[in-house]
Amino acid sequence: MARLEAKKPSLCKSEPLTSERVRATLSVLKGIVTSCYGPSGRLKQLHNGLGGSVCTTSQSSALLANLSVTHPILKILTTSVQNHVSCFSDCGLVTAILCCNLIENVQKTGLTPSSAIKLNKHLLNLCTTYLRSKDCGCLIPVNFDNTQILLCLVRSVLTSKPACMLTRKETDHISTLILRAFLLTIPENTEDHIILGKSIIVPLKGQRVIDSTVLPGILIQMSEVQLMKILPIKKSDSLKVALFHASLSGDLSDAGEGTLVVDYGVCLENAVLDQLLNLGRQLVSDHVDLVMCQKVIHPSLKQFLNMHRVIAIDRVGVALMEPLSKVTGTQPIGSLGSISPSSYGSVKDLRTAKFGFKSFFHLIPNEVTVCSLLLGNRNDTAWDELKLTCQTALHVLQLTIKEPCVLLGGGCTETHLAAYIRHKTFIERGSIPKDGGYTQTELQLITEAFCTALESVAGSLEHDGGEILTDMKYGHFWSVQADSPSVVNWPDLLSRCGCGLHNSQEELNWSFLRSTRHPFAPQTCLPHETLGSANNLTLDCFTAKLSGLQVAVETANLILDLSYVIEDKN
Amino acid sequence: MAAAGSVKAALQVAEVLETIVSGCVGPEGRQVLCTKPTGEVLLSRDGGRLLEALHLEHPLARMMVACVSSHLRKTGDGAKTFIIFLCHLLRGLHAVTDKEKDSLTSKNIQTHGRYWKNCCQWKFISQALLTFQTQILDYVMDQHLSRHFLSIFSSSTKERTLCRSSVELLLGAYFRGRVGRNNHAFISQLMCDYFFKCMACESGFEEVCELVDDCFVELNVGVTGLPVSDSRIIPGLVLHRDFSVYCPADGDIRIVLVTETIQPLFSTSGTEFILNSEEQFQTSQFWIIERTKVIMQHLQSQNVKLLLSSVKQPDLVIYYARLYSISVVECLSSEEISVIQRIISLYPIVLPQASSQFDISNNALVKFCKPLILRSKRYVHLGLISTCLFIPHCIVLCGPVQGLVKQHEDALHGAFKMLQQLFKDLDLSYMIQVSDQNYALRPLIYKNTTESNHLLEIGSIQRPNQGTVVENKDGLAETQRHVKIYSNMVVPSVELETHIPCATPKVSPTDTYQTDETLRCLSPHKTKIIDDPDLCIECNSTNSTTENSRLEISYENVKITKIAGKGSTFPVRNKSLEMGTAQNYCFSSIPAGCVLPVGGNFEILLNYYLLNYAKKCQQSEIAMVSTIIANAVLGIPKILYKSKNGNRSFPQVYIRALHALQTNQPMVSIHTGLESVSGRYQLLTSVLQCLTKILTIDLVIDIKRQPQEIYDLDSEEEL
Repeated sequence: MARLEAKKPSLCKSEPLTSERVRATLSVLKGIVTSCYGPSGRLKQLHNGLGGSVCTTSQSSALLANLSVTHPILKILTTSVQNHVSCFSDCGLVTAILCCNLIENVQKTGLTPSSAIKLNKHLLNLCTTYLRSKDCGCLIPVNFDNTQILLCLVRSVLTSKPACMLTRKETDHISTLILRAFLLTIPENTEDHIILGKSIIVPLKGQRVIDSTVLPGILIQMSEVQLMKILPIKKSDSLKVALFHASLSGDLSDAGEGTLVVDYGVCLENAVLDQLLNLGRQLVSDHVDLVMCQKVIHPSLKQFLNMHRVIAIDRVGVALMEPLSKVTGTQPIGSLGSISPSSYGSVKDLRTAKFGFKSFFHLIPNEVTVCSLLLGNRNDTAWDELKLTCQTALHVLQLTIKEPCVLLGGGCTETHLAAYIRHKTFIERGSIPKDGGYTQTELQLITEAFCTALESVAGSLEHDGGEILTDMKYGHFWSVQADSPSVVNWPDLLSRCGCGLHNSQEELNWSFLRSTRHPFAPQTCLPHETLGSANNLTLDCFTAKLSGLQVAVETANLILDLSYVIEDKN
Repeated sequence: MAAAGSVKAALQVAEVLETIVSGCVGPEGRQVLCTKPTGEVLLSRDGGRLLEALHLEHPLARMMVACVSSHLRKTGDGAKTFIIFLCHLLRGLHAVTDKEKDSLTSKNIQTHGRYWKNCCQWKFISQALLTFQTQILDYVMDQHLSRHFLSIFSSSTKERTLCRSSVELLLGAYFRGRVGRNNHAFISQLMCDYFFKCMACESGFEEVCELVDDCFVELNVGVTGLPVSDSRIIPGLVLHRDFSVYCPADGDIRIVLVTETIQPLFSTSGTEFILNSEEQFQTSQFWIIERTKVIMQHLQSQNVKLLLSSVKQPDLVIYYARLYSISVVECLSSEEISVIQRIISLYPIVLPQASSQFDISNNALVKFCKPLILRSKRYVHLGLISTCLFIPHCIVLCGPVQGLVKQHEDALHGAFKMLQQLFKDLDLSYMIQVSDQNYALRPLIYKNTTESNHLLEIGSIQRPNQGTVVENKDGLAETQRHVKIYSNMVVPSVELETHIPCATPKVSPTDTYQTDETLRCLSPHKTKIIDDPDLCIECNSTNSTTENSRLEISYENVKITKIAGKGSTFPVRNKSLEMGTAQNYCFSSIPAGCVLPVGGNFEILLNYYLLNYAKKCQQSEIAMVSTIIANAVLGIPKILYKSKNGNRSFPQVYIRALHALQTNQPMVSIHTGLESVSGRYQLLTSVLQCLTKILTIDLVIDIKRQPQEIYDLDSEEEL
């Protein structure tokens, strides 16, 4: 019986952003994300009082997925960041920090939401057009002849995740592995459009990081006993492979909706087994060397195949089916009847491999587009973090192949962009459109709020109480260690800027990031000679960062535009 | 407990709703965040959604929300304006009755008695409202406001073609009230592009609107995590699922649709399959495999490259599909299938039971068929070649959060609903009362003097007339019945009237034929005035039938004239208002595509003409109601101009508009944007209906019983 219950009335709050509680929760969230950011970011330990594993992380994806947010405004913010991360993997924290800061700064200006939103959008347009333009001073085009830049990009991703607990040497090792894994997924003979292969991450928990490696082809884990059974096979050029996605366990296929009446004495199991053995005979006569099945193979069929020196591997699982079919060039077989010869594929070689306590079958394909990345790390939580990081890095590389350019990292893009926006609005202050709906003062206030928000993203990289400076030529980011002497010669104290492109001996002028400066035009052209020599740059993914910037400003606008919150209390 | 249902209580409720709603009305309106009990977060500026999300408890408030929802179902727009207008009306009524109450109290009546007397007064007012709604509003719309209407159709050509810039203005104004302020321009442009891209020809807009409205869910794809500016239109249809098998194909791609598994099964439901031996089982399995193979092979030989299936196909079918390079998409929903059917008129193939060679005539060509990857999710992208006036396109809507995507989706859907409403004529009917002495004779005289050319004037009635012509064939008795039916209707005399030329003895059969000709000539004109399905069914009269029934017609008409002679007081329905009759029913319409500039133009015009009408009106209560409504209508522009000052403040705008009206100059609007007239009109009538409902309630009785019990009673009764 349906129970009818009167619905409770909802709670309706006006002007949610003005409430003290919302501001407090927003600043708590801001504190959390800010402290996680960057190579020296602090780690967060998340544990659920009701059980489950403890997660140590500084990545936005892991952090926000585990954080339970109750206030609807925060929910909007976090889901927006999470959605961004699920699209681009990278730059989640940047998005969150920028969004929080922008909301806070705009609130401080006390302008009406309508003009603030309009101006935010205007400034965002300035940013995106500048970042997409050719003379952008923080954009480096990627040349795939030289892997140096790609390696820098991967290393930047790895170093920005301190919870992976990698040493410098390990970072270098993993970076090269990731880059190698990525390069293996690019098909050799490319047509008009490239279809990238896949890198499968295989866990080697408890192994040393240095033992991690990349192998072309696919690894299928199996017990040592099973591995022993497999007989050494006669060597030929390549092995013929059959891949089944229908079950070979001898169960009855779908009999339809009606009833099936079986006479006494008729054994269907035998009938099906006969069929399976017939299939086995066909496989043997077709000279198949390796039979793989997504589901279970009947022991009798397995034995039959083994007797005829055919290797049978079952329970491969659905996840491996697509890469297996791709690597071997087989068509997954769904029939127990006759098999068309065109659905067989081949592999170059088959080996057994042992890493740590695990043993694997190793399929080496003729043409490599699928590779296995075996990752080890000290403990489970660090391994989880490393796995996420590797996935991020691989995704970032894929994005870079689509849009072949990278942005300067280490806070330099943000400070440079802020300098550019300040300068741009300063020189265009006279020419404000009359029906634009905003005034000169409003523009100035919002520009200041916007640029400060951008700079505070860069500022969040510093967690140890150091000072942050910016130079007056390039608008890059420089940090000084804490408790350095007050009267100093800056070039001696500073070494390199955040991204590592410029060093302090270039006769630059510095100013504190927090102090007010006269707007200056940051130099837009990149010095090519330094670009060629620099091999230790910090770089960021262009696509992810640009989208993160847009999403952050759009989300901030959305939250600023709220006039009511209606909470359904049912 | 019972509470008096009074204007005061209703006003209090409406005022609370007004404060919430007025925050998000108009171009300066802001967003509202709604959470659902499931934890879902929704952004909205849609008044209907907000009111529903509030889960109001107050009975009057719930009634208002119910009225709003029923209005929204009809038109899809105007929930916020509804509340504001209702609130202003109640305020006006309250103010008026407050004054009257003073005079009532002076009469020193007992309180209880006064209460009931109050109720009588409300009843009185509500009746006045009803008369206003049925008579005066339509009159004012037709007689005065209509001259200000603009049209969305371009005026240069005779055919109805949409003027793109007008549509842009209309949509721009619509989205300004629906979408966040930094996205409305983009979304409105997107919608406009989409609409014009989907139209195969200029005149196909009605069909496109209808199809998009029906299948909106299937025609858009929401993607979260990307900035809104990444939203775009892609040609072709996107199915919300991935290929089960994908084989790249070029050139001639044929598709077929199946609704059952291709692999034959051992038994279908309701049947029995008896297995006698193991061999039998093996042979039947072998047969199944072979059969599936043959069917798939046949599909391949017919150049079929894509198989769309509404059910999950077994592994075997998938295997053969891959082998014969046929792409497969499984588990299509019935909605998706209906979209495909509507666009390319593709029907499912029927698999034969026995023969292997079967005809696959139910196939269609597609331009392309490829996977589409949006945010690492794969979709099926089909380049359907449309057989109707709709060229398939899909909208990819991006946004940082699902709530925003949903808001844009709803707004787009609402816009199509609004356009659909706009493309319909809206009927107006009202009565003109003219004091003419010989009104009883007038219709007859008129009839007698008219010649067949008069028929041109009343072209609107040709359809029912033709209906009678056809019916006439069936013989006398039937026609008699029909005539009776007609005389029961309010508007019968026109039918009678049209036959007058035939009835006069001088008229020869050829003349009658000519008359019929004239009638048919008129028929293409679209004047949807009579909405009587019974009559319209028989409209398909052809040349031959008319000729055959010519004699009978004349015979028939004599009969009809007799009846007409008897009942000479039948009201005459005609568009031309010069005819002097006592009660002259006027039927007119707001033609499709009528628009007015936004920014309260409609309200200011209505206010002006209603006040003028009230001044001339002799009946005091009608005058009072008209004045109240006229003043209440202004509440909407007042809110729209609230934040403006100087030259753009409301008093300034209002005075300028009045001046323009008095001197017969065109009104100048400072806003660029258009809104639908019929939408505004419907809103007005809905609000008035809601108000009469509120006024007729005198007591609200609160029942503290579980509503569950009533259900139980119901079920017992059924037993």
